[in-house]
Amino acid sequence: MILHIAKKELKETGRSTAFLWIFAVVILLNSISLLVSYNQYTAKEEQHELARMGERDRWLGQGSTNPHNAAHYGTYAFKPTFALSLIDPGVEKFTGVSVFLEAHARNETEQVAAADQTGLSRFGEITPDFILLFIIPLIIMVLSHQTVTREKQDGTFRLVKMQGVSNAQFIIGKWLGNYLPIVFLTTILFLEAIIVIAILDPTVTWQFVVAMNVVYLIYFAIITSISVSVSALSKNAGISLVSLLAIWIISCLAIPKIASSYTNSVYPYPTRQEFQTAVAEDKRQGVDGHDPWSEASQKLAEETMQTYQVSSLEELPFNFDAYRMQKGEEHEARVYFKHYENLKSVYGEQKGVYQKLAILSPFLPVRFLSMSLANTDYSTHWNFTDAAEKHRIEMQRILNTNFAENSELGDWGYQADASLLAEIPEFEFESPDFSETVHSNRSNIFILIVWTFSSIGFLFIASNRL
Amino acid sequence: MNETPQIAIKTQNLIKEYDGKLALNDLNLSINAGDIFCLLGANGAGKTTTINLLMNFIKPTSGEAFIYGVDVVKNSRESKKHLAYIPENLVLYNELSGIENLEYFLGLAGLKYSKDDLEAYLTEAGLQNDAFGNRVKTYSKGMRQKIGIALALAKNAKVLLLDEPTSGLDPKASNEFSKLLMRLKNYNVATLMATHDLFRAKETGTHIGIMKAGNLVNQTLTEKISHSELEELYLTHINN
Repeated sequence: MILHIAKKELKETGRSTAFLWIFAVVILLNSISLLVSYNQYTAKEEQHELARMGERDRWLGQGSTNPHNAAHYGTYAFKPTFALSLIDPGVEKFTGVSVFLEAHARNETEQVAAADQTGLSRFGEITPDFILLFIIPLIIMVLSHQTVTREKQDGTFRLVKMQGVSNAQFIIGKWLGNYLPIVFLTTILFLEAIIVIAILDPTVTWQFVVAMNVVYLIYFAIITSISVSVSALSKNAGISLVSLLAIWIISCLAIPKIASSYTNSVYPYPTRQEFQTAVAEDKRQGVDGHDPWSEASQKLAEETMQTYQVSSLEELPFNFDAYRMQKGEEHEARVYFKHYENLKSVYGEQKGVYQKLAILSPFLPVRFLSMSLANTDYSTHWNFTDAAEKHRIEMQRILNTNFAENSELGDWGYQADASLLAEIPEFEFESPDFSETVHSNRSNIFILIVWTFSSIGFLFIASNRL
Repeated sequence: MNETPQIAIKTQNLIKEYDGKLALNDLNLSINAGDIFCLLGANGAGKTTTINLLMNFIKPTSGEAFIYGVDVVKNSRESKKHLAYIPENLVLYNELSGIENLEYFLGLAGLKYSKDDLEAYLTEAGLQNDAFGNRVKTYSKGMRQKIGIALALAKNAKVLLLDEPTSGLDPKASNEFSKLLMRLKNYNVATLMATHDLFRAKETGTHIGIMKAGNLVNQTLTEKISHSELEELYLTHINN
């Protein structure tokens, strides 16, 4: 019975030129956006590869040098590009892709794409995630808003009821008949994306692609339920369309904007100035590798001499200048760690609020899940900067240790062998595996499930009031 | 042998109020299989309300209604098995063909027929063969009503409810429609028809009921009354 109703819907859909045009336009739009993304991706990938190799050559090309010079000379850590960013570029555009790793300072990421663009970029770009998150829900609403109201207005609903069909059967049949064309459309969009991804990165973990597809299908199922319910509850098609457009504006535009303003006002980040002042203040409290006269440095010298039972720094079995440099580095690392952890806890609080607000709009959990599966969310960016910092600390340790063990106090002219540079490994960033991503998104997944069941509840409420 | 025919439609003290306003007052109706009962009356007399109550589209304020003994409120889905309904303007799915519309509604009733059977029903309902596969949006009102009749035939409906089915039909289409009703009568179908067409009521109907302000004020057999008498009877009741 339900299939019989759905089949008739599909038949009508197939004959509606409006449907066919909209589908054709969306597929065309998706193809264009994938093509644009493909070109950007390959260009970026090429630049990335050139920069990465050039940077390594530059680093190794220093030859024999003083380790601390090399530390100041520095090197770059690059964030890899992920194939699924083709579908959802997330916050990538605003976070930057490289970090300069040097002595004494944890630098911020550079090469922020948005900074390179004109004000026009503010109007957004056509990307598959835009089509999936905003356009398709709108299409579902426009196409389904009169699925029940028209039958009620025309009187065909009476004829349907006359055949002894229950309201629940009718509504579920309607839901299925309206959902299946969207499943078809989504499948085409994802197939296009999958082909492009397979060309760009055949090693991609397909679980992420499948999961993303499933997340969007669930999202559309929820939107279809809402549309069919509103259509069933509305007196006429006009009221239904206006109500659905209001729901679209509220859940896809208003709530996300309000959510970000709200979270920023409840859990504000410190300003850049506050942050830098606080870091500088804390740095001053400890050892500065370049300042042997500071109180902290004097204290370190005394303690070290005591530990090694010597009466002068020259008697130490290592170069105390380099040792102090490492101690200074460790102190600075702790300071940075502390302050970045503070930022991260603000981020954690904001994320918590966001996830609670996600109960207000099915858009939010899908937005977060999609970015997370594409490795283009803010958490991935944090993971990258943390990994880069870890790499920087390790790099300083290797350089300072070599300096300390192979030179005498005051020997700033010491030149380490060029092989030391090769001891510093190249920076590698490991993206989380599938189960980690699922685990870190359990709240979003839970809320999406709540939304799924609520939307089924709407359908039943609507069928009871029909 | 029981000679008395079966009671197809029965209402007992059926009352419908809208916000305290009486739309139907204490209706007691009994229509036998094979009867064509024509309900006459001005607009707002309660004809459509009666039909809607029998289909359980609206709930009675009090009283009961039965289709072949099945309570239409308590056992609504069961009662509809035997019902067919054709409103004044039968709207079907425009993007589907006549035969597809028929197939869809029969499918909803749990009936599945072959294409040949469906075409046979459409032919019996008087639809011209070359229109079967055309989209319903190209159909005239009379053609759409033939789909309704075909549906009643294919469903093997025992009770036909008609709400001003001939209004707006040209005389030829109206005449064809009457012939179809006579054919259904031969299948022992009980018909309740709300109409303004006194001529058609006299020609086709077996019984006439006149309604006024929610009351059934007169009931008579058509064979006992002439065209002019019917008109006079009608006007007397309406003008009073």
